Amino acid sequence: MARSAKAVPWFLFAAGGTVIAFILPVMIFITGIAPAIGLFGDALSYETMHAFVGNWLIKLILLGIIVLAAWHAAHRLRVCAHDFGIRADGAVSIVVYGLAAIASAATVVALLMI
Amino acid sequence: MSRKPYHREVSKTTWFLKQSRYQHYMLHEISSVFVAIYVGVLIVGLFRLAQGPEAWSGWLAAVTSPIGVIFHILVFIFSIIHTTSWFKAVPQAMRIQRGEEIVPGNLIIGAHYGVWAVVSVVVLLVAGVA
Repeated sequence: MARSAKAVPWFLFAAGGTVIAFILPVMIFITGIAPAIGLFGDALSYETMHAFVGNWLIKLILLGIIVLAAWHAAHRLRVCAHDFGIRADGAVSIVVYGLAAIASAATVVALLMI
Repeated sequence: MSRKPYHREVSKTTWFLKQSRYQHYMLHEISSVFVAIYVGVLIVGLFRLAQGPEAWSGWLAAVTSPIGVIFHILVFIFSIIHTTSWFKAVPQAMRIQRGEEIVPGNLIIGAHYGVWAVVSVVVLLVAGVA
């Protein structure tokens, strides 16, 4: 059956769901809420962030988090589309997985530029 | 021979509003929309960081603008909805056996919350913000 072909997306979905469950709330707090309330201002300065993200280990970790989050969200958005009555699963799959692929490639490019 | 089959009228777009179980399910599913947008914001941030100090401060200004703050508060709430509902489902996906006994679900969920707290503190320390 077609079951075996589903192992890869299923793994990405499960791994992504687990990784973002643990890491995303604190990441959103650091990048999205902390700067607004002026907490730890210096940690997000250009020099500090550039040096921090410039570290290869941090780059790899960030890449892992972003790629897994993108693929997890893509799979979930596909289900979401179905739940909202959109039955064109083929077209939806191309759009959501295509976006995840573009996001993954863009992350690699951005990280290589830093 | 066959009678006219009974078709219950179910809306394709609002079916989940009638039961709280379905509402929770949809809340969890919709969290993916916010996660996807947040991933996009992060990737833009990485490009801005690569482009130099001015581009980076522009990104920070956008993030700390009123719309940026409202968006991030929403993403934060939805990310916590994702975390709690994901942890809730773990015992169903993962059955751990110790000897004869199957480890109770609440213990597994509790361990996840513990790890979550540790991970959050470690990330805060590594990012140099705590």
